[in-house]
Amino acid sequence: MSAKKRPLRWVRLDNAAKIYPAARRRNWSNVFRQSVTLYEEVDVDVLKSALDVTVKRFPSIAARLRKGVFWYYLQQVEKAPKIKNEYSFPLSFMSREETRKCAFRVIAYRERIAVEFFHSLTDGTGAMVFLKSLTAEYLEQKHGITIPAEFGVLDRKQKPQAEELEDCFPKNKGSVPLSRKDTDAWRLSGEVQTDGFLNLTCFQIPVKDTLDLAHKYNCTLTVFLSAVMMQALLNLQKEKNPNVKKQKRIKVLIPVNLRTLFPSNTLRNFAMYTVPEVDPRLGEYTFEEICKVIYHKMGAEITQKHMSGMIATNVNDEENPFVRVIPLPIKNMVMKAIFDSVGERKSCLTLSNLGHVKLPEIMYKYVKRMDFILGVQAAAPYNCGVLSYKDTVYINFIRNIRDAELERHFYAVLHEMGLEVTVESNKRWEV
Amino acid sequence: MYCVKCGVKLAESEKKCPLCNTTVYHPEISQNDVQPLYPQNKFPKIKPKSKGFNGAIIILFFIPMLISLISDWQNDKTLNWFGFVAGGLVLGYIILGLPNWFHKPNPVIFVPCGFAAAIVYLLYINFATNGNWFLSFAFPVAGGLGLIISAVITLLRYLKKGRLYIFGGTLIASGGFILLVEFLMSITFDIAFIGWSIYPLIVLALLGGLLIYLAINSAAREIMERKMFF
Repeated sequence: MSAKKRPLRWVRLDNAAKIYPAARRRNWSNVFRQSVTLYEEVDVDVLKSALDVTVKRFPSIAARLRKGVFWYYLQQVEKAPKIKNEYSFPLSFMSREETRKCAFRVIAYRERIAVEFFHSLTDGTGAMVFLKSLTAEYLEQKHGITIPAEFGVLDRKQKPQAEELEDCFPKNKGSVPLSRKDTDAWRLSGEVQTDGFLNLTCFQIPVKDTLDLAHKYNCTLTVFLSAVMMQALLNLQKEKNPNVKKQKRIKVLIPVNLRTLFPSNTLRNFAMYTVPEVDPRLGEYTFEEICKVIYHKMGAEITQKHMSGMIATNVNDEENPFVRVIPLPIKNMVMKAIFDSVGERKSCLTLSNLGHVKLPEIMYKYVKRMDFILGVQAAAPYNCGVLSYKDTVYINFIRNIRDAELERHFYAVLHEMGLEVTVESNKRWEV
Repeated sequence: MYCVKCGVKLAESEKKCPLCNTTVYHPEISQNDVQPLYPQNKFPKIKPKSKGFNGAIIILFFIPMLISLISDWQNDKTLNWFGFVAGGLVLGYIILGLPNWFHKPNPVIFVPCGFAAAIVYLLYINFATNGNWFLSFAFPVAGGLGLIISAVITLLRYLKKGRLYIFGGTLIASGGFILLVEFLMSITFDIAFIGWSIYPLIVLALLGGLLIYLAINSAAREIMERKMFF
């Protein structure tokens, strides 16, 4: 007698996830990538088998995006997707058709296992748990080792927990919503690659030297790298537009993992953001001043109280009964219009730091490096994903324009501080 | 291995500096065995834009055309008014349907095309009704309007600055256009020129002049911003 087939799980999109399907364009969707690079070539058959096991443990991530009458929802995929081949660039466009079938991809290339997620599925922290668990399952199957379920590796034999599938935004919203009103930022621009090619530039810097420098300026690694980014943006704007009076604000959006502020074990989106800014019209900033601006902005805003106010703003909109009864296509049009007119104007780019990635001890001898790559924004050409693994910080710039002008300025700032920087890219050899 | 131009340390996979595009060359290091970070020349297949939607639009325009043709023909086995319906539908398709065939339809091209099609349609109506108003009224009015709107769209699209000049100029041109319409009406349809168009011309010229003044005078602009912000 065959076992009774369990119905596939489905979940509503969490509060943050709702904007991403609406904001999609004909050639842009909000996708990010995390990858591990092993010391040996990836065995695709074993990876397929590991993925089959892993997807069952993550019903909200191994999912496809479906349409309801009033909202989108996620439905667990029936079986794991095929392992895909790598293209010449990461984060190729994920179409509606693709997200309808499966909203994430697993890609194998030489020693690298990469997973690309549509952002409605999860945020960087949830995605990292998925990637670590997939890698652990792969290594267990490939080498017959046992990897303990710790440091973000989940036991694949365990059933999914209710707390992992929870939308944590509504229960953590504050009583008073905060205003979304904010100033516009300087817009980066350049000659767009006509063939859709995305240029990836990865800076590698030693963790210890970078931390020593950060401590010299009394700040954390995230604050330090954000300050380097802002300094690079200031220098670039100055080069492009020397007239100080006509310069615009430099603002960097820094995502905040809310799991560190609120008790939560969710694998769904649970992040907010803070946007430090400097206004070059007020005068030249020293690097110390930029660090202070970011440090104090983050200190003031990355608190339970402030974040719960920001959550309340978004959740109140979602819970508004008039909004809820509007059919999905009309909601999409309104949300897209708001996203296009407001969404990305408030920062030059996003700098997302996943922090220092830890693995169960036994995995270190198999995993050489890890990367985190954000997709470009819809209307702005750059984004930047950061993580550190072992003794290296990996800073991945992605851009859809030809010239690496921001990267040059970023390198110049690091170089001036005496950091040893190694650079790697997906630059086409024959171009 | 370091870039000889910008000095950055390059990973082994690099054949050109990712920052300054300088070709990497080291006489003692062979790069033949190096694997790239990403495979070379592997691109996702770009699906051609679905023609299904555009086909459906054509059918949507074609059905009323066919019904009109049959209805008109059945009446007295001749075509009397079908040409007007067909012309109107073709004009509607040129304005609404045709741009959808292009990946990024450029309004600078399609707006003048729409006006040109409208002028041809008006010419047809003029001949079909034995009218005598095309050259003296319809052509200059449709042409003038097309010229003003096309100019605004072109300037807004290709100039990043000078919005106040563009909108100011458009308001003044619109005032002049209304005066022209009244004048053409009077000579084509024998309506007395009473000068009603002077009033919108004065209002539009004043508003347009104010915008241009604000564009020129930054101090006045700042006062307006301070008083009028919302």
